[in-house]
Amino acid sequence: MSDLAADVLAGKVAAGARAIRWLDDRDRRGAELLRSIYAQTGRAHIIGITGPPGAGKSTLTDMLVAELRRRDRRVGVIAIDPSSPFTGGAILGDRVRMARHTLDPHVFIRSIGTRGQAGGLSRSTHDAALVLDAMGYDIVLIETVGVGQDEIDVVNLAHTTIIVGVPGLGDEVQAVKAGLMEAGEIFVVNKADRDGYDATHRQFELMLHLRANSRPDDTWEAPLLRAVANRDEGGGEIVDALEAHLSHLKSGDGFARRSGRREREQVAGLVRERAAAAVLRSAEARALLDAVGARQLDPYSAAEQLLAQWQSGGGQAA
Amino acid sequence: MEDLPERPLRVLLAKLGMDTHTVGVTIIAHALREAGMEVIFTGLKQTPEMVAAAAVQEDVDVVGISTLSAGHTRSLPKLARLLREAGAGDKLLLAGGVIPEEDQAFLTEAGVHKIFTMGADTRDIVTYLRGWWAERQAAEAA
Repeated sequence: MSDLAADVLAGKVAAGARAIRWLDDRDRRGAELLRSIYAQTGRAHIIGITGPPGAGKSTLTDMLVAELRRRDRRVGVIAIDPSSPFTGGAILGDRVRMARHTLDPHVFIRSIGTRGQAGGLSRSTHDAALVLDAMGYDIVLIETVGVGQDEIDVVNLAHTTIIVGVPGLGDEVQAVKAGLMEAGEIFVVNKADRDGYDATHRQFELMLHLRANSRPDDTWEAPLLRAVANRDEGGGEIVDALEAHLSHLKSGDGFARRSGRREREQVAGLVRERAAAAVLRSAEARALLDAVGARQLDPYSAAEQLLAQWQSGGGQAA
Repeated sequence: MEDLPERPLRVLLAKLGMDTHTVGVTIIAHALREAGMEVIFTGLKQTPEMVAAAAVQEDVDVVGISTLSAGHTRSLPKLARLLREAGAGDKLLLAGGVIPEEDQAFLTEAGVHKIFTMGADTRDIVTYLRGWWAERQAAEAA
């Protein structure tokens, strides 16, 4: 095992930070490191926090960190912000709302840009969560970018997902879109001191009621909680609900099953990505792509030809 | 795809001390983003201890400090020392803002790698960072 892997497992902050950098940069050393720490992961409770832009996710995350620290949990935070699709650059500002935890040795906060990934996460989010897990953090909080209706990849990654809504984003249904209501295990209406809270709360209640009716086998009843995160109100109830959901998962095989699903999906994703890269690398592939661009060949035929070439080559990239 | 390293430069920007003027640091943050860099903004009223801790957790390449009030002759050398003690002495430490000519040699001696004073063109900052990053990557590859 490399020194860095040993340092990660010993919980050393600089080592964990460097490991996440390599994985985010897709440096080969990142994959090597993951190989040596992977067996030690699978312990942390991974929690997603998602919701529309402006719902107060960072402030809520900050409040949850404070409450978890009061309960003596060690907490890793992955805060994701969008990268520019044009320049690849990003302004990652989530730390501003979490500044009070900067000097707590039992809190590790990492800002990550989406780097072209859709769905509310970065491609490296799962890997970063594994590193924090290996470092011994009890809880990993993943704060997604502000999402719309279907950018809910975090649900596949987390054991527990908190959906954050907020009054006053216009039409009540818009406060949290219908697609978001289908995901998630804990619902929070943040900024509950604002006008429109009662209406938003009623809307959430109705949607959750309909959801429960359509899922008779669901043994977890998703709680609906209120919070005013910038005044530190509601953190205790949310962390109680997180602990209840963890017990619920662990009372069956839910915890391991969710972890396993996530890792299997990552393998499938990696294979897709690398196979596509291998298939598309050849000169023939480039010629076919050019032909599609010039409208001499349609995309379906081009894909079939490429796969046929690849298979006849024994699966080796030409 | 897989063979191409994707390493955007990561830059932490922070303001030390009590001043709350954010116009300059905001403009620089946007200029660096436009140049394809990842900017981690940690906010106002940061102490050297907070900046050093955040720089390590974020594994940034560059730490940029904006200072528009006095105190930089104490806080910047302290930050440089804390970064070295945290094993992060290889990060590029930049300072910008109101920094009198007579302080600059002292700060450079104390570990600030480069100083941009008021009115510096953001394009010059981008050019400087790109040059430094290219050199750093070439040195790592060698």
